[in-house]
Amino acid sequence: MTAIESPQPASIPLLRLAAVAAFIVMGFLLPRLLGGTSVAYSTLTTIAIFAVMCYGADIVLSYLGEVSLGHTVFWAIGGYAAANLSVKYGLNGWATAAATIALCLAAATFLGAVTLRTREFVFSLVTYAAAVVAYEIAFNWDAVGGSDGVVGIPPLKLPLLLTNFSGAMQEDLWPIAFALLLLTLAFIARFRRSRLGTTALMVQMNPALAASLGVDPRRIRLAVFVISAPITGLAGWLYAYQRAYVGPDMFESYFLVMMLTAIVLVGRRILLGPLIGTALLIAQQNLLSLGGDWNKIVLGSVLALVLIFWPAGLVGLYRRITKKT
Amino acid sequence: MNIAQQVINGIVLGSGYACIALGWTILLGVARLVNFAHGQLYMLGAFVSWYAITKLGLPYPLAILMAIIVLGVIGLLMQSAMMRLVMTQNLTSLMIVTLGLGYVLQGGSALIFGGNPQTLPGTLARAKIDIGPLWFTWQDVLVLVVTLLLYGAVWLFTQRTRFGSVIRAVAEDPKLAELFGINAKLVYLGVFVFECSAVALGAALVAPRSPILTSMGFNEVIMTFVVVVLGGIGSIGGALAAGLGLGLFTAFFGAFVAPAYTTAAAFALLLALLVIRPAGLATK
Amino acid sequence: MHKTKLALALLLGLASVPAVAQDIKVGTIFPLSGGAGPDGQTVTNAVKLMVQQINDKGGLLGRKLTVISKDDESTPAVGVSRANEMVAEKADVVIEGWNSPVTLAMQPILARGNILDFTAVSKSDLILSGETNPYAMRINSSNGFDAEVIAKYVAQTMKAKKVAFLTQNDVYGNGFQTAVEAEFKKMNFSGEVIMTEKFAFKDTDFRVQLTNIKGANPDAVIVTSSSNSSGLPALVDQYRQAGIKSTFVGAVGIMLSTVYKVAGEANNGVISADIFFPDLPPFTTQPESVAFVAAYKKAYGVDPDKSAALGAAAVQVWAQAVEQTKSLDRKTVAEAIRGKPVKGTVFGDVQFLPNGQMQPRYVVFEVVDGKSTKLKALQ
Repeated sequence: MTAIESPQPASIPLLRLAAVAAFIVMGFLLPRLLGGTSVAYSTLTTIAIFAVMCYGADIVLSYLGEVSLGHTVFWAIGGYAAANLSVKYGLNGWATAAATIALCLAAATFLGAVTLRTREFVFSLVTYAAAVVAYEIAFNWDAVGGSDGVVGIPPLKLPLLLTNFSGAMQEDLWPIAFALLLLTLAFIARFRRSRLGTTALMVQMNPALAASLGVDPRRIRLAVFVISAPITGLAGWLYAYQRAYVGPDMFESYFLVMMLTAIVLVGRRILLGPLIGTALLIAQQNLLSLGGDWNKIVLGSVLALVLIFWPAGLVGLYRRITKKT
Repeated sequence: MNIAQQVINGIVLGSGYACIALGWTILLGVARLVNFAHGQLYMLGAFVSWYAITKLGLPYPLAILMAIIVLGVIGLLMQSAMMRLVMTQNLTSLMIVTLGLGYVLQGGSALIFGGNPQTLPGTLARAKIDIGPLWFTWQDVLVLVVTLLLYGAVWLFTQRTRFGSVIRAVAEDPKLAELFGINAKLVYLGVFVFECSAVALGAALVAPRSPILTSMGFNEVIMTFVVVVLGGIGSIGGALAAGLGLGLFTAFFGAFVAPAYTTAAAFALLLALLVIRPAGLATK
Repeated sequence: MHKTKLALALLLGLASVPAVAQDIKVGTIFPLSGGAGPDGQTVTNAVKLMVQQINDKGGLLGRKLTVISKDDESTPAVGVSRANEMVAEKADVVIEGWNSPVTLAMQPILARGNILDFTAVSKSDLILSGETNPYAMRINSSNGFDAEVIAKYVAQTMKAKKVAFLTQNDVYGNGFQTAVEAEFKKMNFSGEVIMTEKFAFKDTDFRVQLTNIKGANPDAVIVTSSSNSSGLPALVDQYRQAGIKSTFVGAVGIMLSTVYKVAGEANNGVISADIFFPDLPPFTTQPESVAFVAAYKKAYGVDPDKSAALGAAAVQVWAQAVEQTKSLDRKTVAEAIRGKPVKGTVFGDVQFLPNGQMQPRYVVFEVVDGKSTKLKALQ
């Protein structure tokens, strides 16, 4: 983790590579280290899926500085695509994943184009309005599941050359969830150093400089928004297979608040931030659950307190403590 | 006769939307602040009124007053906590903070007031007026009259007094306004306290129409998002017109198309309008 | 390293805690907070009461029972976590389900964990489709049979000529309406359906729909609504305020105690049907129901409503099957119930259909005084 976070350029690439590899192996074996029970597998799979969901919203929040309240739409698109295509047409995981990516790109391009000229709370409101409309469609359109949703989603099948990965049990789903998480992390790490990532940050931090360099902020905004959608979408895609049931509840604010909290909790623009944030939140809900009402209070106060007192998240707090002492 | 009754229904619904939306309009439009805890504040306003009437035995007007004061104090606390974010104009963080505070209010109210549905007794919601086959209640009349008076007063206040321009100056640039001797923090506090008090008044007036639950809030104020944006953010006359217009739209869409889809239709309309005019309707 | 492992395991709550002296674990997953919280607490309380009674008689198979109760917060994602916890804690049976989507999300988890699963309340037809759980069982009545009772009453007893529907726009509401219309067709109903008005579950203002209905002036309005805490009482109230003369016919099971508590005397004259009543025959003459009503009242100070009876019956049905098979195995117990008759529940003697649906007895009633929940049986 420190290896990835380390700001020094790859002066010792081999060591760095080894650290990353060790981290990956450790991560992959984590459920076995925790006892190898089916609950260990399912909890960690959930954390991996939710973390990927958060990374989509994270790009928009961290690199555009906008709060998207519409990412549940992409999350639901993934879930509904996986559910409907696998139940009704028997398509395998590759096909449903491809459909998820295509649909998310299309939806994000549309929504991104619509919101191109909106900023700040208007952007949030419009993305939110889009989520409300999408929810109403999913809820009322019986062909995609209607208010009861879709049941009987078959186990995930990913035929690859001669082998055939299948996610019939929680244990089988873990490698896929872990791989998706790694892919996402690699993508985000790449994005941070990419031209688009750095330009987006410049547009957010110093619009005047960006303009003087001839950057078209609208194109950047659209590109970042569109890129973020399939990430959250693929998380929803895998979630459908894990839960074997997809319903309009995928639009619930539970997921939205989870995304926002996980992102801001640890600190924005930190590669592993959303992952650690998600892990902490799921751990609280599963281990230290105090009942629905208290959980709301805990989640809400964490969100408010962190942002009020340490706008840079737990990392900011940590830095402050280490600086003082 | 159906049409006449649907017009009445539309005005009744619309005045309710406008009444609940007033605080948001001012907060968002004039001070450029967001408050996603609006729905939970509405819920709390309703429950404070309920508590005042049923547990403290206060008459309805005093219960309204109590709701306004209690919510005003809560607004004061919330805004004081968020002051640093407000002064640095960290709007994204503010949005998320209010979302979190809304969760806290929801959970806290459920623990204090319980999860059972309640009704507000002693209001005018049961005082029915029949004119031939048409009907409405005195509570409906009260909501309409108070809404109109309130919008008029706020319009006069922001347009015709110095305070209006002070608030707008602060919204434009709080640091610059302070250079000109304006206490920006005080202005923000005032606006936020007004928002909370206004939603308390709205809740005390509108909530008696149906049972109240601590889990409510979201659906009750969802239409105010539409009202505020459609009205042209910050436009007081616009919000009133948008509120009443949306009420009539709900009634006639429900009467002739499908009442179950009104929320979807209203939001689709909003989306469409924002594509055409991103700043809302009333602005040029 | 070993210490870190342990700490990590503890942090994630995955370390298995050894079972306490071989108690049989009865799990409940219902909403205990939020809008449906009071309803979920009622069902959970009834389960606890029945478990207590079994323990007082010496337990099951010589072992004591303990109840593990969890809150699904009416959110499917939370329900899934709670179901996973039940798997981790190796519950011997789970009684769950107030909201259909939550039940549908939890069923596959419990089925994969090989945990016996009773659905107490959730009404969706998909629950018993076999897709989510091949050994599903449900205590609450199903839309299909509910529709028959209501259709018969409206067409044959009331002899209504003009019927309107006021339907909640989701699978539950629309499914019920379709089933009633199918029954009408089957019995060659001579009247006609003149109007269908729909509303959303979350709605609390129905003036627009009621104005349309008033204009059409039907003989009977068949109403579905599962929003017993806010939407339905508001609807009853506004129905009276609008001065509609048509008979209000509520779908089976919608008139729960919160509706009477909130809407009071506005409920007078409402006709509906249900499968359990603390104070109506035949339940007042069945020893099991009488004993349950008395015990519940003693424990919690109020009469049990249908929701409570559903929770209690789930425990009774399960306990009888366990006694009979001398087993706690999911498959064995489920096969002793599905398609078999069960005697002596709080619902009386009942029959389970092969798909796991309990077949209860229906009573059509009219509300005489909504304020004191005084009802009159009609058939």
